[in-house]
Amino acid sequence: MRGATDDDVEERGVELGLSLGANKNQNHTATARRGPPCRILTAKDFPASIAGPSRASPSPSQSSSVSSSSVRATDEDSGTDVVVGSTSPETGSGSINPSSSQTVVGWPPIKAFRMNSLFNLSKEEPANNKLKKANRKGHHVSCSNGHSLAEDQDKSQLSGRCLYVKVNMDGDPIGRKVDLHSHGCYESLAISLELMFWGTTTSSTGYMNGSRLLDNSSEFVLTYKDKDGDWLLVGDVPWSMFLDTAKRLRIMRNSDASMLSLRFQQTYVHGGHEQS
Amino acid sequence: MKVQSAMFYFPEEVIEHIFSFLTHHPDRNTVSTVCKAWYKIERLSRREVFVGNCYAIRPDRAAARFPGLRSLTLKGKPHFADFDLVPPDWGGLAGPWIEAMARSCPNLEELRMKRMVVSDESLELLAHAFPNFKALVLVSCEGFSTDGLAAVARSCKSLRELDLQENEIEDRGPRWLNSFPDMCTSLVSLNFACLKGEVNLKSLERLVCRSPNLKCLRLNRAVPVETLAKIMNQCPNLEDLGTGSLLADQFSEAYVSLISALQKCKKLRCLSGFWDASPLCLLAVYPICANLTGLNLSYAPTVQGQDFINLIQHCVKLLRLWVLDSVGDKGLAVVASACKELQELRVFPSDLFAAGPATVTEEGLVAISTGCPKLNSLLYFCHSMTNSALITVSKNCPNFTRFRLCILEPRKPDPATNEPLDEGFGAVVKTCKNLRRFSISGLLTDQVFYYIGKYAKALEMLSIAFAGDTDQGMTYVLNGCKNLRKLEIRDCPFGDGALLADVTKYETMRSLWMSSCDISLRGCKALATKMPSLNVEIINEWEAEMEENLNNGVAEVISNNNNKHINNGNDERKVEKLYVYRTVGGPRTDAPDFVWTL
Repeated sequence: MRGATDDDVEERGVELGLSLGANKNQNHTATARRGPPCRILTAKDFPASIAGPSRASPSPSQSSSVSSSSVRATDEDSGTDVVVGSTSPETGSGSINPSSSQTVVGWPPIKAFRMNSLFNLSKEEPANNKLKKANRKGHHVSCSNGHSLAEDQDKSQLSGRCLYVKVNMDGDPIGRKVDLHSHGCYESLAISLELMFWGTTTSSTGYMNGSRLLDNSSEFVLTYKDKDGDWLLVGDVPWSMFLDTAKRLRIMRNSDASMLSLRFQQTYVHGGHEQS
Repeated sequence: MKVQSAMFYFPEEVIEHIFSFLTHHPDRNTVSTVCKAWYKIERLSRREVFVGNCYAIRPDRAAARFPGLRSLTLKGKPHFADFDLVPPDWGGLAGPWIEAMARSCPNLEELRMKRMVVSDESLELLAHAFPNFKALVLVSCEGFSTDGLAAVARSCKSLRELDLQENEIEDRGPRWLNSFPDMCTSLVSLNFACLKGEVNLKSLERLVCRSPNLKCLRLNRAVPVETLAKIMNQCPNLEDLGTGSLLADQFSEAYVSLISALQKCKKLRCLSGFWDASPLCLLAVYPICANLTGLNLSYAPTVQGQDFINLIQHCVKLLRLWVLDSVGDKGLAVVASACKELQELRVFPSDLFAAGPATVTEEGLVAISTGCPKLNSLLYFCHSMTNSALITVSKNCPNFTRFRLCILEPRKPDPATNEPLDEGFGAVVKTCKNLRRFSISGLLTDQVFYYIGKYAKALEMLSIAFAGDTDQGMTYVLNGCKNLRKLEIRDCPFGDGALLADVTKYETMRSLWMSSCDISLRGCKALATKMPSLNVEIINEWEAEMEENLNNGVAEVISNNNNKHINNGNDERKVEKLYVYRTVGGPRTDAPDFVWTL
């Protein structure tokens, strides 16, 4: 069983998305995080030996509003994060938070096209690297459709194509991106997302060898938006079809998604005319 | 004879002739405002139109005003869309423009678009609607596939230029290249470097064979050295070449033919590509380096260390250089000693994940500034920067017109002194009187904005991230930069006070972007109320999607229910993303559900 360890945090810092220079020194001391990292990175999170005047903490009453300047994180020592919408302590001095290894959308300011090409050109796909390490540690990702992860890595690199789609999680306003082509099956993708958003693939019940996102065992389910704009549960169509139609992903609360699956079933019952 | 009236009577043809010497579009805009007669003459004789924001005017109106239009340039999404800060489906659709042109300007010959969404259907329409169509340039666009390209290739009989720069193009196979008809011999410039898929090599060779006027050819990574050599043997007059994959064995026929082909191309001035370049193939390039004015190695991580040094030391006439930071300070030092004519330098990060030491530092930049005093355009990504380095750089190179420095870690201070970088960037604006474009980073207080407002009088575009302390910072800029056209801000503590400090200023600008700042809905509403000539748009993806969830996951367009969101009470809500621009076209009719126009 692989728990979240300092290694994981370090890997996260190195591999997921755009790792900012700041956090490299911090990862070794970061403790494992618990719970979804729902925090918003703001200017205050980045190291500033000269702290600017603190901004007044804005009203904590936003329930659904997104403004990323609105909520301050965090407690540096424990590395715990704060859920959007609740009151949070303000960092007075803009001290660095270990979890600033999180991806910040749009930073550094490099054209998306160049970023995608860069990933293609670099020798190792970082997200795959992480999964390879995950495999080595005994958490085996087997793709039931016969793809091996390695095969797909080679394929995507040879064909020179990445398929980055945005992933949002309910309650977390920071969007991330994942390369669908670097995965061979739903398991692999789901585990990668769990690592991205929770920092661990084990739930509190100690479940292993399966993604809780895919099997309804957790508070969240994984859904995607297809070419027609419909939101569907991930996992129902063959993987290759999924690659063709998935436009973006969302980790949805189970309660909201139950209505979704109902509609989905209705679609199928009525002849699947809405399915492409 | 009435001498006096003869003095006041200028035939229209004469005025039109005079206007023909005015090529700079701001000048033409100015003369058109003199009087009705001049307005009419100007608009009928106008051949080129530049629309910096495609929503600043309705396409129909632009097409109706300039029926003689031959060349149209359009820009769509805000600049920060390049960095994924603008959601997909935001807009910037080319369709309405192409349709309007098809209706009113049949003589259209050139279309240049940047950051716009183009569909295959639109390309199909383009291919058929304009019999004299000559040049299509698409930069950072998306929404189309190689089928659209095939339509253009097939039907544009006198196509001279097809230039695709860094677009997201859906690859539907290599057959699009076959669509150039056999009688098409007019190609001067072909750039498909951004295509990710395979290319029909035979078709490519045949196309090149029958294009005697080809001056610029940029291949994609799928084209091997063998084909490259064959192509170059066919076009000894090539001036601009983007190689394909530059990988060959030492004694292969491909390699040998590459060497001889390269030597034949005496007019080659600009090189790019270098995908997978092996040191061996680089050797083949040395003989032509002495005449190069442009070199783009920014997609070639294999060219580093001594290989880079060996290559660059021959490039004594180089004016433009794009590289990755893996060349290191050492590589930049060689550039500084060899490329004395250098005007433009771009250094991109090669590895965002490296936990290792930084590869370029302030030393590399200082070396460049010392060796290349003619430098006027800079884009530099690095891990840290010092004030003293920036002060030295600006002393050495007072001619900067574009200065963009990106320190990868937000809010990083000067490591030598632990101070903000206000003084360093301040020195740049003080010395470089012609600075038109400025991007700053690192730890910055309001002070840097004081300097910018005070000294950067020629500044047209300013990009700010993770900087400043109070509203005063943004206010300095709005008050001081008289020529400011585009201001884009992210993650700065500027609030309603700054936003509303000088609302009429935004009418003199093309656009303002603010994301992850401290502005509220109330402030944005106030701006919209005070300035009806502006479109004040709020992008709030989150709430729109929450709405979707609540409606049983049905993705309905909610755009007509804007009021429900905007007026449901809490105006103190912070605004995630704000985009303000002047327009005569009124609110957008194609705004998606997450864009609210106030």
